[in-house]
Amino acid sequence: MFKAIVSASTLRDALDAVSVLVDECKIRLNEDGLAIRAVDPANVGMVDLALDVAAFESYEADGGVIGVNLARLEDIAGMANSGDLVHLELDEETRKLHIRIDGLSYTLALIDPDSIRQEPDIPDLDLPAEIVVEGNQLDRGITAADMVSDHIRLRVDEASETFHIEAEGDTDDVDLEVGREDLIDLQAGPADSLFSLDYLKDMNKAIPGDAEVTVELGEEFPVKLHYEFAEGMGNVTFMLAPRIQSD
Amino acid sequence: MEFAEFAARVADVEAETADLETTSLVAALFRDAGADLPVVVRFVQGRVFPAWDSTKLDVGPNLCYTAIARAAGPNVDDDDVADRLADVGDIGDVAAGYDFGGQRGLSAFGSDGRDPLTVADVDATLRDLAAAEGSGSQDRKLDALFGLFNRTDPEEARYLARLVLSEMRIGVGAGTVRDAVAEAFDVPVEAVERALQVANDSGHVAELARDEGEAGLADVGLEIGRPVKAMLAQAGSVVDAIDSWDRAAVETKYDGARVQIHYDGESDPELYSRNVEDVTDALPEIAEFVADRVDVPVILDGEVVAVDDAGSPLPFQEVLRRFRRKHDVERMREEVTLELDAFDCLHADGDDLLDAPLLERHDRLSSVLDAGVSTLALTDDADEIADVEADALDAGHEGIMLKNPDSTYTPGDRGQNWLKRKPDVETLDLVVTGAEWGEGRRANHLGTFLLSARDGDDFATIGKVATGITDEKLAELTELLEPKIESQDGTAVSIRPEVVFEVGYEEIQRSPTYSSGYALRFPRFLAVREDKAPESADSLERVERLVGE
Repeated sequence: MFKAIVSASTLRDALDAVSVLVDECKIRLNEDGLAIRAVDPANVGMVDLALDVAAFESYEADGGVIGVNLARLEDIAGMANSGDLVHLELDEETRKLHIRIDGLSYTLALIDPDSIRQEPDIPDLDLPAEIVVEGNQLDRGITAADMVSDHIRLRVDEASETFHIEAEGDTDDVDLEVGREDLIDLQAGPADSLFSLDYLKDMNKAIPGDAEVTVELGEEFPVKLHYEFAEGMGNVTFMLAPRIQSD
Repeated sequence: MEFAEFAARVADVEAETADLETTSLVAALFRDAGADLPVVVRFVQGRVFPAWDSTKLDVGPNLCYTAIARAAGPNVDDDDVADRLADVGDIGDVAAGYDFGGQRGLSAFGSDGRDPLTVADVDATLRDLAAAEGSGSQDRKLDALFGLFNRTDPEEARYLARLVLSEMRIGVGAGTVRDAVAEAFDVPVEAVERALQVANDSGHVAELARDEGEAGLADVGLEIGRPVKAMLAQAGSVVDAIDSWDRAAVETKYDGARVQIHYDGESDPELYSRNVEDVTDALPEIAEFVADRVDVPVILDGEVVAVDDAGSPLPFQEVLRRFRRKHDVERMREEVTLELDAFDCLHADGDDLLDAPLLERHDRLSSVLDAGVSTLALTDDADEIADVEADALDAGHEGIMLKNPDSTYTPGDRGQNWLKRKPDVETLDLVVTGAEWGEGRRANHLGTFLLSARDGDDFATIGKVATGITDEKLAELTELLEPKIESQDGTAVSIRPEVVFEVGYEEIQRSPTYSSGYALRFPRFLAVREDKAPESADSLERVERLVGE
């Protein structure tokens, strides 16, 4: 059983965070809200999303799992104005999701959840550095790095207590230095890892500019990017595996 | 099994040049494969799916190059990969030349930190990749491939690249796999061969051989929906057929596309091409035809032929306009009419018939299907065969098939039991020097014509032609030759050497019957050479040269 009403913008923010990594996903319809966990086909990037029952106008669910085609669902959500409410209701018999938006009804065929890639186990990482930064700052560094390379280096300078977003191209280099005063918070520690921009750019697309992003970082370890949406009722954690730094 | 071990073992196989050693290495690999045996057996042949399954990875070379470039890290793009391939010539060597693994996977940070690529991982990922369809599926395939390459060392990358492009090139063919399964699990080669033909899945057969031995292999049966390879024919002659079988089953050779029809008696029939591709959707009327007429589970073999409004066969090209078509099926159905000519029955109502003789299979075929069934003529008479051929050609078909009436159905086997009658290699232009009046219906026509080769200024007899001639043609020939009759003795007449026939034959034998000392075997009338005078007909010298060859 699943029946919910949610604002179109909240639904879109949630879907965007997942669709940057996968095309299909399982959605767990828990009693206390929706949960999605997915990993990209190359097992490099992961998303863990929760949308609390409080983020909905109304919500009833009893713990089922559905499989959805994200592009399809995003298209439908895209039909709504941001203030519109989206009504979702699962037909258990036909395994279809009925969606209503301001007079528009859409019946979405669901995918057998068993045919979707298994949900990943989340590696239990204790990362030494934690940087809290505004989404816009992160976006600035990623955009600059993308101009010169397809790799990006994230590191913390423990002595100067600064966060660095760097990229080394064939000819040109980029270094965005963010000091403690421009960060929301910094817990300095040994942290220096290289990542593929392909992935980080996609994740960045989903992060709202005004979100507070908590970046957890280590040395040659995956990075965790955590942020909230839907006024704190939804939260997303991205995890991205590093590239090996060759000197 | 870790993919690294598979790659190392396969590299040994590739380096081995002696056949027996190769088989032993492959057998040892199979023995050590454990739960991955079916996958390993398919992988050594460059396959992910069983032979009966027409699912394709659908990964083009370019997608593979892009995945390799991405895994190779910074400063490598698709063009670099393509350039290297042009230099090196083998995608495996190209892949092995890069240093992959720059991008780490998340699972490497899991509990034990070690994350070796396994044969099962590769299989699962490639199967997922084959299932990807629709918009964005190319990107998803690329991600999945990149994810695999990213986890390989050079040796693994070599064989992964080849596997992805379905070209293992390690010198292991179907025969090696068969022998290796037999050697590895100590079962007779023949038992493996038979199970392979029936199951059409070497991975499954290997597992059966290991787990259930010879008895398990013998138990393998056909399954509706799991196509087997089509039995094939080789070129042969009427002489071959009659000499080796005493009598031959003769049927029309249709100029169409081979189909294997699987029908469970209830749901929609499935149609497979000769290459076991699913062609059901392209040929709705054939499926309907079978569903309407058959009420028991069957596996049928036959040919789909395009016909005109009068029901006469149209050239093969017309069938191709329909076969494998994915779009506009209904419109093309209006344009090109297709018919089924079923000629064999592999399974009927619970009975596997592969081991039944042809005649029994054909009887079963006729009993389950009341139309669209080929006519089988059983004869030991070359002239009768020639008549069937003349009729078939006359009706616009391609020729005739000669089948051993007692033979079993051997999937995928191009054996001696089905023969496509060889077209005549050479023809001779021979002079008509005699004839015989026909009998019965043909009493008013000259029927059998005595043929002679030029021998200096004289003519030497070499054979008689009575076949390959329609009634209509016979009337024409009688009209042409009757005025040239010199003398008559009973029904035999002597004819002035003025008319030249072009004659086909299967072979020339030494023979005391004719004055030339030679006889044509299975001679057939082809045409009157109106452009040729007797003086320019073929000479005995040419006949002797042909025999000498």
